[in-house]
Amino acid sequence: MAATFFGEVVKVRSRAVTEDEEDEEDPWAPDNPEDREVRRELERKREVEVLQTQTNLSLEIPLLEQYPCSKFIMAVGNNAVAFLSSFVLNSETWEEIGSTKLWNEWCRTTDTTNLSPTDAFCVFYRLKSDPTVFLCQCSCYVAEDQQYQWLEKVFGSSPKRNLQITILTSRHVTDYKTPESSCNLPSPFLKALKTQSFQDAACCTLLEQPNIVHDLPAAVLSYCQVWKIPAILYLCYTDIMKLDLVTIEAFKPILGSKSLKGLVKNVSHGTEILKKLVTTNEIQSNIYT
Amino acid sequence: MAARYDRAITVFSPDGHLFQVEYAQEAVKKGSTAVGIRGTDIVVLGVEKKSVAKLQDERTVKKICALDDHVCMAFAGLTADARIVINRARVECQSHKLTVEDPVTVEYITRFIATLKQRYTQSNGCRPFGISALIVGFDDDGIPRLYQTDPSGTYHAWKANAIGRSAKTVREFLEKNYTEDTIATDSEAIKLAIRALLEVVQSGGKNIELAIIRRNQPLKMFSAKEIESQVVDIEKEKEEAEKKKSKKLI
Repeated sequence: MAATFFGEVVKVRSRAVTEDEEDEEDPWAPDNPEDREVRRELERKREVEVLQTQTNLSLEIPLLEQYPCSKFIMAVGNNAVAFLSSFVLNSETWEEIGSTKLWNEWCRTTDTTNLSPTDAFCVFYRLKSDPTVFLCQCSCYVAEDQQYQWLEKVFGSSPKRNLQITILTSRHVTDYKTPESSCNLPSPFLKALKTQSFQDAACCTLLEQPNIVHDLPAAVLSYCQVWKIPAILYLCYTDIMKLDLVTIEAFKPILGSKSLKGLVKNVSHGTEILKKLVTTNEIQSNIYT
Repeated sequence: MAARYDRAITVFSPDGHLFQVEYAQEAVKKGSTAVGIRGTDIVVLGVEKKSVAKLQDERTVKKICALDDHVCMAFAGLTADARIVINRARVECQSHKLTVEDPVTVEYITRFIATLKQRYTQSNGCRPFGISALIVGFDDDGIPRLYQTDPSGTYHAWKANAIGRSAKTVREFLEKNYTEDTIATDSEAIKLAIRALLEVVQSGGKNIELAIIRRNQPLKMFSAKEIESQVVDIEKEKEEAEKKKSKKLI
């Protein structure tokens, strides 16, 4: 017990660890049913589900346990997604096999029960000619608390054999830490980060310390490092985060890599598609001239 | 660390940065590329045209603006900020002419714009202008001038420079290709500006706008046809140069 300046007598919190500690109030314990209900509803809202396209039902087991996979290529962010859409998705025949349904504060929709097709943000495609090759187009933001769920529902928690993962994403160049001035950086530029078990050469220089990777790509890469899956992340540092032709073209060196080998047929055709994609999105903002 | 020193323009960080000014320079990089070249008897301004929506009137989206009969400027960055700066500069040009009965020198109007920009980097409650400008023209002494200003309020004279997105690539091209030969004649200077822009402009000539000022002549805006014919000439010259190269190798 201690007296405060104003004459109140308060119980002093002791740092001594005694058995009575368990009786002390835990500020995080749900103290009433209403709070518990709100928390449960929020958890339900933020649940990540992987839906099968054919049946539109939620998958019971992880995606890559349902379908065997040898190559998994993933694009996170609108520029990486546009790159794969133009150069890889159009070439061969791919079939959509599933999508993830999730909601967080960054999502534009408020209705989580009836998501339209355009709201299915993470779409999974499988190559028809080789059903072990998967492509994931992720243009939504997966929040920190959802990333573990996403990994569980897509990759599962058992080690995978013969799987190689390639991730493409972009980040603003102001996040790139370097002793040089940011005016001298040749943005956009590509950097790579790979797991220990990835033996092939990267198409660009490796990401130097103290730079780190964030969000879903980081979660996937960490998962791969833990489970000893060969994986490589290609990160494009750019000064334009919206859909931009110059940024997307910075990913082009990856077309020659082993990961995308055989999946890209016609580069010029891909360039045409890309131009169309970018021009339809371009004429939006008048803020900058 | 930057988070504590970048909220107010009037606060220096411990290592001497004014983060709001540096962030304003990032806003400039969001604008499309503009290039300026100072020739012997000509000054050239070339810009990458911003793509216009179908229902939008093209005339209202201009990157090259005349400040007076003998001075014009191109900008990159926030459109609204540019409009304010251009209006103030135009008023100043006329006011100067009425007061001292002489047209402004290019350096005078550049200094005016730069001073205006600098004032906004030292005021509380205001933010810096998010534009860089390339100001070109001829003074009464007949000497061509090219100046560049940036959001911090500095201005420098240049022989050739670029601002906006991909400015670094264009500047490197200019550093390699700006020689006494390439600016010897007016047409060579114009071609240099177009070649510099073609390095970074996506769909070739139809996305380029060009303006020139010749000594004792008013500003001339090139039409799309004229630019296209220049681009065709440049491509021909490129092909011929490549043929010569391959012949030499053989």
